[in-house]
Amino acid sequence: MAVCVGIIGKDNSPKYFTCLNPDEELGFQYKVLSSLDVVEEKLSSGNKTGSDMRELYLGMLYSLETHKVYGYVTNTKIKFIIVVDSTNTALRDNEIRSMFRKLHSIYADNVCNPFYIPDEPITSKSFDRSVKHIMTGA
Amino acid sequence: MNGIDTPEEGLVDRRPIITCAGELEVFSALEDSLSQALPQDSCEWRRALGRPIRSVHIGANFTPFSPSGLPKGNQWDLIRQPLFHVYWTECTDIDAYKTTVRDDIESWLKEITARDIPDWLIVVVENYDGKRTNKLLPRTTVLDKIRADFAPKQGDRCISVINPGRVETRSTDSWRGLVGRIRHLILVAYARAVMRLEDHVRHQREKRNEPGWNFMQYFHLQEELAQVLEMLGLYDEALVQYDELDALFSQFIVNGHIGDAASWLSQFQKPLERWHGLKLGPCKLRKDPSLLELRAYLFAKQAHMLLLTNKIWDVAARCLPFLHICTRELVLLDVTAPAGAISCWLFLACMEVLHTCDRYNQADQVEAYSANTACLWAYASRKLRDLGELCGLMPGEIPTSEQLHTVVGLSAGMGDCPGPSGQPSPTDKLKKALSSQEAFNRNYLELAELAMGTYKHIGHLRSARLIGREVASFYMLLGETQKAAAFLGDVLRTFEQDGWRELAAQAQLELAECHRKAGDTRRFIRACAAVSAAPEIDNLIRWSYFDEMQKCLNSLDKPLVVPFEDIIKIVSVSVKNDGAVMQDSNIEVELVVDSSFPREVLCTSVLISLELENKEHKKMKDKSVNSGRTITTKDLKVHNSALQRLHIQRHLDYKQDKQLSSASVVCRNAPLKRKDSAVASQTSNFDICLEISTLPLVLTPGVNIIRLTKQATDVGKYYLGNVAIHIGKFNLISSCLSQKLIVEVKREEPILRLDKGAAALLSGLEQIMQLSLTVGSYTLPSDTLIKLVASRGLLIQHLPNEPLASSLEINVQNTKPFSVTHMPLRVLAELPSKDHQVTLVCPWASKPIPVLLSFTPLLSTSWRLHTVQHRKFIQITVTGQTEQKLELSMPQLDVRDKIKIIGLNVTDPSSQIITNGLNVSFTWELLITPSIESPTLKAQFSVHYVAVPEEETVVNDTMMRIHMYNFDLTDYQTLYVVEANVEPTKGNEFCRVGALCNLNLCIKLAGHTLDDTSIGSSLMYEVLAEQSIWAVCGRTAGVVSFETDLEPQTVVLDVMPLNTGYLPLPLVRLSKYIPAESTIAEKPRKSAETHPRLEPFSPGQVYNLSKGRQVHVIPATVNDGHVT
Repeated sequence: MAVCVGIIGKDNSPKYFTCLNPDEELGFQYKVLSSLDVVEEKLSSGNKTGSDMRELYLGMLYSLETHKVYGYVTNTKIKFIIVVDSTNTALRDNEIRSMFRKLHSIYADNVCNPFYIPDEPITSKSFDRSVKHIMTGA
Repeated sequence: MNGIDTPEEGLVDRRPIITCAGELEVFSALEDSLSQALPQDSCEWRRALGRPIRSVHIGANFTPFSPSGLPKGNQWDLIRQPLFHVYWTECTDIDAYKTTVRDDIESWLKEITARDIPDWLIVVVENYDGKRTNKLLPRTTVLDKIRADFAPKQGDRCISVINPGRVETRSTDSWRGLVGRIRHLILVAYARAVMRLEDHVRHQREKRNEPGWNFMQYFHLQEELAQVLEMLGLYDEALVQYDELDALFSQFIVNGHIGDAASWLSQFQKPLERWHGLKLGPCKLRKDPSLLELRAYLFAKQAHMLLLTNKIWDVAARCLPFLHICTRELVLLDVTAPAGAISCWLFLACMEVLHTCDRYNQADQVEAYSANTACLWAYASRKLRDLGELCGLMPGEIPTSEQLHTVVGLSAGMGDCPGPSGQPSPTDKLKKALSSQEAFNRNYLELAELAMGTYKHIGHLRSARLIGREVASFYMLLGETQKAAAFLGDVLRTFEQDGWRELAAQAQLELAECHRKAGDTRRFIRACAAVSAAPEIDNLIRWSYFDEMQKCLNSLDKPLVVPFEDIIKIVSVSVKNDGAVMQDSNIEVELVVDSSFPREVLCTSVLISLELENKEHKKMKDKSVNSGRTITTKDLKVHNSALQRLHIQRHLDYKQDKQLSSASVVCRNAPLKRKDSAVASQTSNFDICLEISTLPLVLTPGVNIIRLTKQATDVGKYYLGNVAIHIGKFNLISSCLSQKLIVEVKREEPILRLDKGAAALLSGLEQIMQLSLTVGSYTLPSDTLIKLVASRGLLIQHLPNEPLASSLEINVQNTKPFSVTHMPLRVLAELPSKDHQVTLVCPWASKPIPVLLSFTPLLSTSWRLHTVQHRKFIQITVTGQTEQKLELSMPQLDVRDKIKIIGLNVTDPSSQIITNGLNVSFTWELLITPSIESPTLKAQFSVHYVAVPEEETVVNDTMMRIHMYNFDLTDYQTLYVVEANVEPTKGNEFCRVGALCNLNLCIKLAGHTLDDTSIGSSLMYEVLAEQSIWAVCGRTAGVVSFETDLEPQTVVLDVMPLNTGYLPLPLVRLSKYIPAESTIAEKPRKSAETHPRLEPFSPGQVYNLSKGRQVHVIPATVNDGHVT
């Protein structure tokens, strides 16, 4: 389903990054990095409306010929970015949402791990496995 | 080309058709004004199915009525058929009406009603004359008749109108009525027709999955609906129709890709032959369109609707998704296209949209414009670059003939679309750009710059940088390394700021290549260092860059300073000295660094700069000075001030009457200071620095522990500043340690002390004091001399066998730091001196150090003169003053001037031991001749003494010493002898208490004083009686003179004893009496001294013969007592 997942800290540095095809990782990093522009824009404009219960899901940040980039921001400004192959037409918005929700949930689990220092890059193997699980949609 | 401003032009005419019957010449006079008047005003359009009421403008086309042209029942495309039918008549005459017009109307109406058409109107045009208005109204008019005949229930179907050709107020009213009626009725009819059409469209759509259904047919059908809505001015609803078509088409393709493709899809799978640029504005769909043509048409229509609803930016926003969909659908449908054709098309589409947006871009909309067009600019530039790569137009390439063919082919496929002169169309531009490398370069860079600028403007810095990266690679190809380096530098900075290390490492890699190409060795080394230290990069690459860096290092001619950054990480810095560092000892610092170099590197020196404390340091002391001895990575982390906790304080404002005026919170430390974008790298000063002792040092990858030392030569507080690692001329320098470590270098001065022992100091005996020298933190020069100067009467010596001296110079033997030297100092103070001082003069102290010494005299000496008549005795008493036992021997009195003395002393000396409080007296008689005047004597008493050792006290000095005592003897010769005697008064036998007695005073001259002129001849006697014993009655004093008479003088005074018993006689004192009128005074005296004066005699000059004599006094009633 997803080809790449990135978790970006509140300082915009990557905390976790994975993609199905490791050879393409660099290219995806560029894509995810540029999507942060849109995330920031959305967050700053979202503040103006001042709704208390902010929608965490930001929707599609931008699309490329080959890929679509979706964003999700937790209340602590941790950004989840999912890159989806745009030829995958079967993927609906709802499925993306649910992927983000799952991702958020396992991220929260990971942060709860006393051995994980918040704001450090995530290196947990089980976390990696879970993310891969979500990405492949299995 | 720009037909957007005039929407009618080219628009498929979907205005309702109105047929006219009856007297057409009447209508033709009105046709023009009617067709103009109809769309001028809006009319409310009520629709079924709860859709909102919209106000629309409606126009109409007029055609003559013909029964054959009437639509048949159930026909769906009513829009294209006559919708509304009007019968015009001018007949005013009822008879005429009855004969002709009525039949005509009847047959007309029959035709219409036969087809179930309810939309008709009969208009009676009246031509009023001025004359006829005066006439009485006819009973029935033609209109009434018509109404009665044809529309008995629908009165609104018949209307009369006053010919508007005449200017009359009534005519405008009636004309307005007519137009309104027609408008309304048309709309009713039109609405019905639209409903029918919508139903039909819906019906058709439901059949879309049936075989034989064709999208294009359906497309035209729904587009008709859209056109109708557009015609009515309902652009948004028209847009909905186009959007539905768009979505439907997309869905078909997606479905076709997944499941069975609809057969009609095959017509879109033809190989692409034309890729004419997208054109916004009025356009026509060519028959049998290709996928791109259909898409372009659809987008153009959508854009048109958006522009009409003033949503210009939506056009731009929709553009990119549209282009993405197109490319994807081309793939999904397997449409084959010549290489580059799609890129061409995409580029042209981008440019067309951008041009259109440009036209609407106004000063107040730049924000919106930028926000929506930035990605288009970027997309266009990327596509152009793709084309350039395809056609061999990139810098440094020479197009092959094949590539030239491609260009020709692509240009042909674009077709011709010339823009107005001076404004080349996108097609023209692209053709030009593809024609030559130079044009391509210019175009590409222009687009890329625009894209970057637009991104920056909307704050999408990262996107801008990514384009910058592409531009940099382009400049690299162009050979403009300087520009490329600038872009890459920006890219690198952004990546680093965001903490994307892998990307930053990539950028470094590119930067390294850039500098290599430019031949900039220094920058190349810098980039190489960064690359080789980046763990994100493959090891092989790191090694190769590291080796290259090593090679280049040799060619450096001047030092190259590179910040540590990620190359070397400081793990910890710790000062190894405990507490302050003493001068001349070593400051030791342990530096732990983590080298990220992939291999070992040979360091030529490792330094840590030391900064002497200055004002700046003191200022920031409270903040960042680490009181500990170690700083670690944690401390070195740069704190992001924006993330720090704010110190919010309560703040209350009071009014004058102490009432609360306002309460607020304030943040004193404003953290929102602008951060300097480029912190000026402090020029670190390595003048004073810690150095490594063993060189060269091999810095291994990973953690290295390096010990640095520095001899502390100068006193002060030092802060550890920067760490520097030199590899030849390649100097890696850390940023200033943010947490300051202090090394304090102190100096301890030598201390010279002079201490006495436990016992008190005694004068007259040699004693030992302790002179101790404690050398401070630094070595004293070997020729250091300490000078000791003693005050008068004090002698000192530090050497055991040397004579005592009043000043000494001592050469310091042990000059090593912190060594302590004790020297015994022999001290001897003369008797009977008490307070002394030793001044210590040391070269390190600016002032001499006085040491006050207080001595206790060993013994004290006093003398007394005793007199018996003319004989004189001298008694000298020596009293011990200290616990120290002293043995006295060989007392001797030396009187000069030939006067003999006789010692009356015990000759055995052994018994004469004195100690505290004990005294020994010695007596000598002066043998003087009473008749001769005795001279003043200078006497010197001397006695030998030696300290007697005792068990508990050790006496150092057992030398026999002489104690000398000098005194002068003056006026010691006896001048007068006085004798007193108390006798009872005459007739009394005894002295009784309370009875007067006689005090007989007899004053005699000692013989030899007769010729002595210096002695006054008048004497005053005073009776100093003890008042509890004697009461002197009468005079108590008197003056006697021996001036004329040398005989003894006798004075009788009256005294009364007050007690009984043996009473001492009243004391009689003699004084020299100097009368007031005396002329003896040589010096001029003050007038006050004209009084007589008394001068006492020296002891020994008056001998009281009756001293100690007593008188027996008996009580008053008892018999008289006698003087014994």
